[in-house]
Amino acid sequence: MTAASGESLCSHCLLPIGRRALEQTVNGERCTFCCYGCSIAFQVRHGKTEEWEAAWLLIRLGVGGFLSMNIMLFSLLIYGGVFTGADARLLPYIDILLLALATPAVVVLGGPFLRETLAEGANGRLAPSALIVLGVGAAYAYSTIAVIEKDAQVYFDTATMVLMLFTVGRYLEAAGRARAARDLEPLLAADREHVVVVEDGFETSRPMREIEAGMTVRVRPGERIAVDGVIIEGVSHADEAVITGESQPVEKGPGSAVIAGSINLEGLLLIRSSGSGTDTRWAQICRSVREALMHRSPILRLADRAVAAAVPGVSILAALTVAYWAQWLPLDRAMLMGVAVLVVACPCAVGLAAPLATSLGIGRLARHGCLVRDAGTLEELARVRLLAFDKTGTLTLGKARIVAIESDGIATTEVLAIAAGLERHSEHGLGRAVVRAAADLGIETIAAREVRVVPGRGIVGQFDRGLVAAGNVALMRDLSFEVAPALAECGHRAGAIGYSVIYVGWTGQARAVISLDDVPIPEARATIESLRARGLRMAVLSGDLGPAAQRVGAALRIDDVRAGLTPEDKRAALERHRRSRDVVAMVGDGLNDGPVLAEADVGIAVGTATDLARETASVVLPVGGLWLLPWIIDVARAVHSTVRTNLLWAFGYNLVALTLAALGMLQPIIAAAVMAGSSILVILNSLRLERLPDFVASQLPERSLETETARSTLAPDPKEWVPDFQKDHAQTIS
Amino acid sequence: MTYYFVVFAAGFAGSFHCIGMCGGFACALGHDQRGTSATVLRHLLYNSGRLTTYCFLGVLAGALGQAICTREGATFTPLNGSLDAAERFLAIVAGLLMIGMALQFFGLLRTFQRLTVGFGSSTFAVALRSLLTTGHPAAPLALGVFNGFLPCPLVYAFAAEAASTFQALPGLLTMASFGLGTFPAMLMMGGVGRALAPVWRQRGVWLAGSCILVLGIVTLGRGLLPLGAHVSHGLLAGYPA
Repeated sequence: MTAASGESLCSHCLLPIGRRALEQTVNGERCTFCCYGCSIAFQVRHGKTEEWEAAWLLIRLGVGGFLSMNIMLFSLLIYGGVFTGADARLLPYIDILLLALATPAVVVLGGPFLRETLAEGANGRLAPSALIVLGVGAAYAYSTIAVIEKDAQVYFDTATMVLMLFTVGRYLEAAGRARAARDLEPLLAADREHVVVVEDGFETSRPMREIEAGMTVRVRPGERIAVDGVIIEGVSHADEAVITGESQPVEKGPGSAVIAGSINLEGLLLIRSSGSGTDTRWAQICRSVREALMHRSPILRLADRAVAAAVPGVSILAALTVAYWAQWLPLDRAMLMGVAVLVVACPCAVGLAAPLATSLGIGRLARHGCLVRDAGTLEELARVRLLAFDKTGTLTLGKARIVAIESDGIATTEVLAIAAGLERHSEHGLGRAVVRAAADLGIETIAAREVRVVPGRGIVGQFDRGLVAAGNVALMRDLSFEVAPALAECGHRAGAIGYSVIYVGWTGQARAVISLDDVPIPEARATIESLRARGLRMAVLSGDLGPAAQRVGAALRIDDVRAGLTPEDKRAALERHRRSRDVVAMVGDGLNDGPVLAEADVGIAVGTATDLARETASVVLPVGGLWLLPWIIDVARAVHSTVRTNLLWAFGYNLVALTLAALGMLQPIIAAAVMAGSSILVILNSLRLERLPDFVASQLPERSLETETARSTLAPDPKEWVPDFQKDHAQTIS
Repeated sequence: MTYYFVVFAAGFAGSFHCIGMCGGFACALGHDQRGTSATVLRHLLYNSGRLTTYCFLGVLAGALGQAICTREGATFTPLNGSLDAAERFLAIVAGLLMIGMALQFFGLLRTFQRLTVGFGSSTFAVALRSLLTTGHPAAPLALGVFNGFLPCPLVYAFAAEAASTFQALPGLLTMASFGLGTFPAMLMMGGVGRALAPVWRQRGVWLAGSCILVLGIVTLGRGLLPLGAHVSHGLLAGYPA
């Protein structure tokens, strides 16, 4: 366990520990807990039972239960009127018996609450457990005096059952939180994990930080692959959702690369590690999740303050209640009402309302490769009204594709065959697009010799018909290739609307113009539609030329397109948007848009995804993870509404119960039961987030259809596109 | 008295069913190295922990029943006496529940099984497991207390029956009779070991099912029939238990 986690996350439920930290040694390891319940639950789960402490906790719970149930049993019989008439003479003896049972019960069950109160008190703070101590203490003290003075009524049942219910409530609460933590555990355990390393035929278990490049690692089925590397032996499928966001299993065999963090589904694998264990993206994800969980969100701080203020307030209210009712009722009845006020007001649920839900949200996103800086980001994300996109590399592939070939009558296949034969030798992005198009169409290239690259111009070579060149119009001029006016006009037109243009010419004449463009990624439109269906407005802020940005905007049905912006302009535009629609998110690629992402309320970086700590964005999506955006918004909104309903419930419930208790309409034991129930309800409500559906790429509405349309307008699928295009463009030229 | 005896018998017969579940704990508690008396003490502690939980549940159920249908001063007579509307309703619910449990014992109804196994058993099981291995003298008591809360159709059935007595004391006595009924088998499990043939276990389950069925029908009868008390009284008197 690292120092960081030991200091700020609860060992049991992995939530940030508040100011009420509890320290204990379990299995020789120093552990910190956010509450007494977590410490019990943790020791029940992990504590080796030889250890005195862990077993003692359970025995304490059991013995406390035994005693308080016996007390309750007799008390219920008394209330039920069993000891009336002739049996009434037994009552004093039963009272003494109850005192004998209650004293150890109060000591055994109340000890931890008292200790918590005293520890907080020593630091000058009032813990919520002070309310319980006060209430139980009052009931016990009064009853003891009543027994000594042989008075009529005793309330040992109240004292012990309140303690019992709170202890059980805390235990159940901790159990619920641990269930949520099971989601987060793999994300936080990366640096604690051990890996089986095979060396000279021997298997040894080593911690992650000792893993280096070249080591051979064995991964059993169902285990997480902890290193980046290549499979030496074994066949399996891997679930790479945590890195790529896609939850479809990927086939793996000898020679396949595996990513740290993915899960080996069915085969036994032997993997050669290609890097150190702590440098993987998986390790980075884990680090940023840990950091995200440690930040306290504004809403959490608010809840903390409310809890801190509640304790003295409630104590005063309880005193007032007793003072008021004592005027009309016997003191014991008035005291009971005061106890009910103390018990019912314990603001446990308020403290639970936010952290559990946000942790579940952050963990859920992280398991699909989406990193969120902190809980506050999640809250902002839920309130986002406008999403501004950068164009290149975010909405578009950032890679050129051929959109048109215009020639002076020569077949496009021939143009492509010659151009690709030449461009095969080019490293330029446009050149590679030409080669790819030829390969996609299955066109056999016509090889060129003596190829040389002319910097800033293009590429030149020789083939069986003579000199051949591909490049800009300047190259044509340099080589004194004749450019027909119609062809030049085509080139101009294409260039004016933002296309990249390659002239292809041979034997002294430019023969064709190839227009290329950056096209939207296939799922962009479905994603945008899906975001629009969630009530969000979209805008494009691009540094590119107007027509290119407009074209993408039109293809994606985004009206609000601003092009030709410098980073400074982008920030100004964001500011304007923010003034009109309050919360604005900027989606960019993180590398070029860093400053702009930092400026937005929520900066979302797609694809770079290195280390969140070094990013200016507060949300990072995996490579090609644009399609996850609608889902992320869904998760953020679900978390937001869960936190809100939790707080509403916790505060509202406390208020109503408090009123009832002050009016003397609530029994203390019932008050304790409803209080414990309230916390459990908050937990259950938060756990509903676990059932939030995963978003699978194939679930995107009209995704397949969308891909088709995108291709036919902007990125024609070469196989369908050639005949079409031959018809259109060949005709315009001739 | 006949009534409590039937409950005791059902508990006794049903405890052969318990052996399947709780018996494991009793076995695991096993022998104490310090001798027979220590072993007996240990198992008595375990069983009294269990009994306390049952009694508590019984009183609670009875008191709840009483709270629902308050009748000042009336005393519970399990096999005769007149009932008002609320009591009838409760009796019908409890009777149906018991009949359901009985059918489940005969393997005719599966819903309850899922209901009982589904909730909380894992949390409890983990807690119990770690208690088993401690040497602390109070551990068997705690184990018994938790054990009593383990989801068990028998306990639910008799808690329902206890609720339909509408009073704390009869509720307590019902569950106490049931709990005492389970004593012999559970003590035997600890002491004698697991020498019981599965055939006998099955017979025990059937016998328990029959007892619960009879009790359920009687309870239901109390709710449904205007003179149900007398009918069921006659029925019980003729019952060979």
